Amino acid sequence: MRLSRLWLQDFRCYEAADVEFDEGCTVVTGANGQGKTSLLEAVAWVATGRSFRGVPDAALVAAGHDEAIVRAEVVDGERTMLVEAALRSVGRNRVLLNKQPVSRRRDYADHLRVTVFSPDDLAVVKGGPARRRDYLDELLEASGTKYVSVRTDFERVLRQRNALLRGGVRDAEARTTLDVLDDRLVTSGGELVRGRLRLVEELTPGIAEAYESLAGETPGMSMRYEAEWCEGVLEPTRLDDVDGLLRGALEALRRRETDRGITLVGPHRDDWRLVLNGLDARSHASQGEQRTLALALRLAGHRLIASIVGSDPVLLLDDVFSELDPARSAALVAHLPAAQTLLTTAGVVPPGIEAERHLTVHAGQVVSGPQAEQ
Amino acid sequence: MASFYEGPVQRLIDEFGRLPGIGPKSAQRIAYYLLKAAPEDARRLAASIVEVKEKISWCRRCFNIAEGEECAICRDTRRDSTVLCVVEEPRDIVAIERTQEFRGRYHVLQGTISPIEGVGPDQLRIKDLLHRIPEEGVEEVILATNPNTDGEVTAMYLAKVLTPLGLRVTRIASGLPVGGDLEYADEVTLGRALEGRRVVDG
Repeated sequence: MRLSRLWLQDFRCYEAADVEFDEGCTVVTGANGQGKTSLLEAVAWVATGRSFRGVPDAALVAAGHDEAIVRAEVVDGERTMLVEAALRSVGRNRVLLNKQPVSRRRDYADHLRVTVFSPDDLAVVKGGPARRRDYLDELLEASGTKYVSVRTDFERVLRQRNALLRGGVRDAEARTTLDVLDDRLVTSGGELVRGRLRLVEELTPGIAEAYESLAGETPGMSMRYEAEWCEGVLEPTRLDDVDGLLRGALEALRRRETDRGITLVGPHRDDWRLVLNGLDARSHASQGEQRTLALALRLAGHRLIASIVGSDPVLLLDDVFSELDPARSAALVAHLPAAQTLLTTAGVVPPGIEAERHLTVHAGQVVSGPQAEQ
Repeated sequence: MASFYEGPVQRLIDEFGRLPGIGPKSAQRIAYYLLKAAPEDARRLAASIVEVKEKISWCRRCFNIAEGEECAICRDTRRDSTVLCVVEEPRDIVAIERTQEFRGRYHVLQGTISPIEGVGPDQLRIKDLLHRIPEEGVEEVILATNPNTDGEVTAMYLAKVLTPLGLRVTRIASGLPVGGDLEYADEVTLGRALEGRRVVDG
């Protein structure tokens, strides 16, 4: 599958844009703040239904407008699909797939897949657990639309359960409601945890391999899935125990949960750790090792999704090379998958990148052709 | 939105803005439309709003909309009162009636359990449902709430409360649309359809 055309209207700094893409690599150049990242952000929105910069949809609508329009034409073999989205600053978004309205994200989730590399990826290695959970959950969603609804369902159950606990569980009706929400939390939360555990197991060799190709050395690499509700590390071999462990923890902690008015048991509080040569990468790896790991996580994720779904996701490289030293930069270029690629850069194009098409972005306008001499 | 309009116009815009699914822009558009409309059109609209509030109320038995004390379905003596179909909203009754497959009676919960919105079992018509069951000799309750997260939670709650009463409690099936194509079914729906498969008599 590949992106063949993108139209934007009132999206971030773009009043109107109409861009065509080739099968190979498109290089987008332009000074800072002109709209390079916004172009990739629009493509990623079509694939994932959210901004990869972690902002709400309302922030994507140009100031002073009610809605932004993103239309993308995606070619998959013989089929051409048109995804049209109206993102609203107030109220629900509207999405059309081949002119037919779709109401749920999973109905258009598998028509375009992307792998985003951004300087912000370092936060997956160094930052808080939320970023690491998102890394796994986003890969799960790309691996199968089932996980789009599992995650949506879990998040809804969690919000309902937190609201119930906050309001106080005083009578029999509320206790029975909590019992039901516990059942649902075990069902959808357990499914999510099992998905993550399988993913952690499948990813570990791929991350080690990607790290080796980028750094030229073979690290001792392992991943640990940590869940407080099973007292520490949850081994991937315990898939069948997940539901029972969740249920046991819910029973044991019910009193504490009702006292504190918040859900303490579930995948929303889990974390996973990368262990590099026996040490926790988050706290013990060097800056350079952490940067290489961040790239390795994206590469390994990309390769795994490509092998599961049978085609490469579109690569979105957002200003990645400016942060890398020449050796890592060259290693990344050498190991990039042979997928359709959109690459932004404020400076020079790294050696080894063969651009099939050049676009220049200036003040929300897209111009074909390489940037004029600087 | 800051108010730029004369008192009555702003009040009308505010009223429309309170309606479900209508944002500030739409509220403004409808208000302008009415300002330009003929006086009799505006009066007819106002009269039908007042009329519906005066004449229509909730059926005292099933909480469907009713003109009078009971709705047309509850008044119909030919319907089977041993089977009761529980739905979220009156509009769900309309959908099921259109199938002409169901000859039992209904009970409208008027919502789903949703602690986020402050709706617990007590805010729904669940106590009324529990009274109806012995009174009307109900033998089977069909849980026909929506197959989304809140609808499932509500159905599971009802199953927990109703099963100890010794009734047959059933849940409507989820699965493939008739006339559909397996190839285009999403994996969640297809998975549900597989779970709910049944034996075919040869």
